[in-house]
Amino acid sequence: MRLRPWLNSLLLLFLTTTVCAYVYKDYDENLLLKTLPNNAVLASFRFVTNGTYTNHHSLFPRSLAQILSHSNTRELHLKFTMGRWDAESWGAQPFNGQTAGGTGVELWAWVEAVDGPTADKRWTTLTNALSGLFCASLNFIDGTRTIRPVMSFTPDGDHEDMDRLHLLHGSLPREPVCTENLTPFLKLLPCKGKVGISSLLDGHKLFDAQWQSMSIDVRPVCTAPDSCVLQLTQTVDMVLDVERSLQRRDYPVPRPRPREELNCDPNKPYGADGSPCFPRSNIADLPWSISEVFGRPLHSYCPLASEPAEHVCLDVPQERPIYITRDSIEVRHPDGRRCYTLPPAGDFDIILPQQSPALPITPFPEPPLYASRSFTGHGQEHGGVKAVIKNPHPTRPVEFVYLESLPWFMKPYLHTLKTTIYPAPPATGDADLESPVTALYYRPAIDRSRGTHLEASLLLPANSTLILTYDFEKAILRYTEYPPDANRGFDIAPAVITVLKHSPSPQHTLPYTISGAPIQQGHGRVAIRTTSLLLSLPTPDFSMPYNVIILTSTVMALAFGSVFNLLVRRFVGADEVAGKKKFGTVVEKIREKVRRLKGKRKTE
Amino acid sequence: MKFGAQIALLLPLLATLPFVSAQHTSNWAVLVSTSRFWFNYRHLANVLSMYRTVKRLGIPDSQIILMLADDVACNPRNVFPASVFNNADRGLDLYGNNIEVDYRGYEVTVENFIRLLTDRVEPDTPRSKRLLTDDRSNVFVYMTGHGGNEFLKFQDAEEISAFDIADAFEQMWEKKRYHQMLFMIDTCQANTMYSKFYSPNILATGSSKLDESSLSHHGDNDVGVAVIDRYTYYNLEFLENNVKNASSKHTMKDLFDSYDIGKIHSTPGVRTDLFNRKLDEVLIMDFFGNVQNVEVDAEGDVEKWKVDAEELSRLAAKITMPGAGCAKNATKSGATVPSPPDAQKILAMKVEEKTSPIRNAIGVCALGACAAAWFAATLLGKS
Repeated sequence: MRLRPWLNSLLLLFLTTTVCAYVYKDYDENLLLKTLPNNAVLASFRFVTNGTYTNHHSLFPRSLAQILSHSNTRELHLKFTMGRWDAESWGAQPFNGQTAGGTGVELWAWVEAVDGPTADKRWTTLTNALSGLFCASLNFIDGTRTIRPVMSFTPDGDHEDMDRLHLLHGSLPREPVCTENLTPFLKLLPCKGKVGISSLLDGHKLFDAQWQSMSIDVRPVCTAPDSCVLQLTQTVDMVLDVERSLQRRDYPVPRPRPREELNCDPNKPYGADGSPCFPRSNIADLPWSISEVFGRPLHSYCPLASEPAEHVCLDVPQERPIYITRDSIEVRHPDGRRCYTLPPAGDFDIILPQQSPALPITPFPEPPLYASRSFTGHGQEHGGVKAVIKNPHPTRPVEFVYLESLPWFMKPYLHTLKTTIYPAPPATGDADLESPVTALYYRPAIDRSRGTHLEASLLLPANSTLILTYDFEKAILRYTEYPPDANRGFDIAPAVITVLKHSPSPQHTLPYTISGAPIQQGHGRVAIRTTSLLLSLPTPDFSMPYNVIILTSTVMALAFGSVFNLLVRRFVGADEVAGKKKFGTVVEKIREKVRRLKGKRKTE
Repeated sequence: MKFGAQIALLLPLLATLPFVSAQHTSNWAVLVSTSRFWFNYRHLANVLSMYRTVKRLGIPDSQIILMLADDVACNPRNVFPASVFNNADRGLDLYGNNIEVDYRGYEVTVENFIRLLTDRVEPDTPRSKRLLTDDRSNVFVYMTGHGGNEFLKFQDAEEISAFDIADAFEQMWEKKRYHQMLFMIDTCQANTMYSKFYSPNILATGSSKLDESSLSHHGDNDVGVAVIDRYTYYNLEFLENNVKNASSKHTMKDLFDSYDIGKIHSTPGVRTDLFNRKLDEVLIMDFFGNVQNVEVDAEGDVEKWKVDAEELSRLAAKITMPGAGCAKNATKSGATVPSPPDAQKILAMKVEEKTSPIRNAIGVCALGACAAAWFAATLLGKS
């Protein structure tokens, strides 16, 4: 394989013009690779398919279309997410956080129905069908895990009759995400993960990532009143640790590095001459290539996608040299992206050599909010939730919606909901104006049939931190309601924070379009999710029933025994006993004999 | 005499039996790992090894019901993400790139297992979670987990008893849900699990007899736990070495004869009394492989076809095309202000603190009425 850096400005100009003029296609795919601080790489795969419910000749997967049509679902969002997005070092989530969900599985959909109960029935049909399609326990999204958010979500698609659409939302924070979920995801793609950028999607690498999210979004799109299509957007975002990927290539089992391979920090007072060393981080941009971090090179291109398009884009510092395989053409964009066309046959690879010292990397722009959430309190009966939300912007206040979906066994007290802002804003005297809560929607839980839905619209001034707290009570479950691993705790779904009216920054816009219309998601809203929480409920000793049975049996035996004894025994007075005289005479006789003997001695 | 007449009537039926019993038209596999928790890695490896074997020999994913009670592949404790190995040499990744798990995690319960076998499922249950067999289906049931005398634990929380399985299989037989069945179980005292079967055409085998443990084969130091059980290991060894492809002519007798107590370290058992075929005539491929035979009945019944076709066309005419024409006016619904809650929609209540003069007046009136009542009561009491 001969490699050489591509720098041909003439060809570049020619290609940019042709790319802008490509024709209508029903399928497109795109991969964006972006280096992040600390030798992390974000790989963002996007696959867009257009089709209809009924046309079986389109590329739209029939399995999914049938489910949507059967359950009268008009718009669907399904997310499988694992890990935590490190906003402090990586910046805001790509695509305004619209492609990622909370830890585990999150599903929301607009279902067409005449009334609420019908919508519930169709929602059950939808979750059950999707559980079969995606090999996930989505059928566990029942009434207790379903809420109907009011402010947090808006439909992305073009809908005719919004009044008949019901938004339902459910999440499973405990659900593992693994290869069995990726397999059906790939089967929905026209090229099935065999060629094109989807050939890089390997479970062994995807589930080794620091953070990864698979998302399936279906929405109707109308370019003109009479030309509407059903658009399926499949996204895989993953943050790979280059160092770990390279290490895995050399040693499949993670082992500590030998000392001579460590980069010790010479500024630390310790670490010289064999003593424990403090490793320096990010001293160099490690060399990596697609085949190294994904375990295989990119194989050819998907012939169903638009061509010749730039399917692979790289967002790395401009100074960093890049080597690519022969039959590809580089296109440099003014925003710093370098995009490549895929060769018609054979493998494609991008190689980045080592860069020392490390180049400054621009992470994603700062997110509009930083959010974290934790439990407070102690004991088995009561607890509290504390959410800390920070607006880092020096001048711009942020309006957002905070959404919580709590299981029924976690019962919040709404009157304890308090918000505090640091630093405290100047007092105006009017309590209503001072409160950051502008609207509050609440639907209390019903034991075993409905969870709590809490949704608050808040306004956070610039450069300040909001602390939202509330207390809750833990319910005691019935013996059979505990899962097999009850002592592990119960996962509480992440809170969803939706920032309204956020001006999207240039990096957030998508690098390509399909069928002329730019892909918009969330209408400029930014979604941020906290981590899930682990609630420990009072858990019984599960051998307790046996203890109870044994103890009860003992008590019953004692009670029965004594009562039975009392009932069947005849009690008589000591003097009434017939045999007493006889017994007395024997003693008397002995005494008499002793007396007689004594008397004999005296007389002698 | 009456009895003799009945026999005479049954004779023509009996004559067709040997022909019928030799054929099946589809193969299904139900593979169950009932153990939760990381240290039971080997049970998942057992069942995934069987999954790979039946898939290798031709049973498609749509006819395999795979039940895994826990996720070990993407478990944080697994140093090999998305991989499960059944051997310390780590030559074969059982999880691979193409796997469909039908029941996983908390879904693997005794109730779901029996519902699956007997097909008494919720109406919304997807096809991939149903055992859609008929009286021409050969079913292979493989179970592994922790068990004891006449029971097998599910998820360390509940048990299925030998009687439950026996009754479920009888229901399957009554509902014509299998043609022949191979029941294989790898657990402690496994042979007790099939001792209660009473339905015909079941061939059963287990790893150990009463009061005998079923042991693991070997461990992997990097995985940190035992990776496979002995009985499954030697079954697989035989299948890998001898049943190389779907044209294999090895019989179940060959498989059972390969069991070596010295290697397995427990006494494997085989129950054949319910199975009315000779073991040396039963191919391993009858249960581990796949056939796609078609059975044609009611030849030349043209009228019936016509009626069916008419009925189908009537049904097709009824089908409406939902969403065929989506938004026409293309109203952008991206407004930040939420739409007013519809009366027909179930929505959360808006929490508001309203202070209006009318509310205040109502409150004052109520207080006044209470005070008046109290005052009147004291007056009346005095008089």
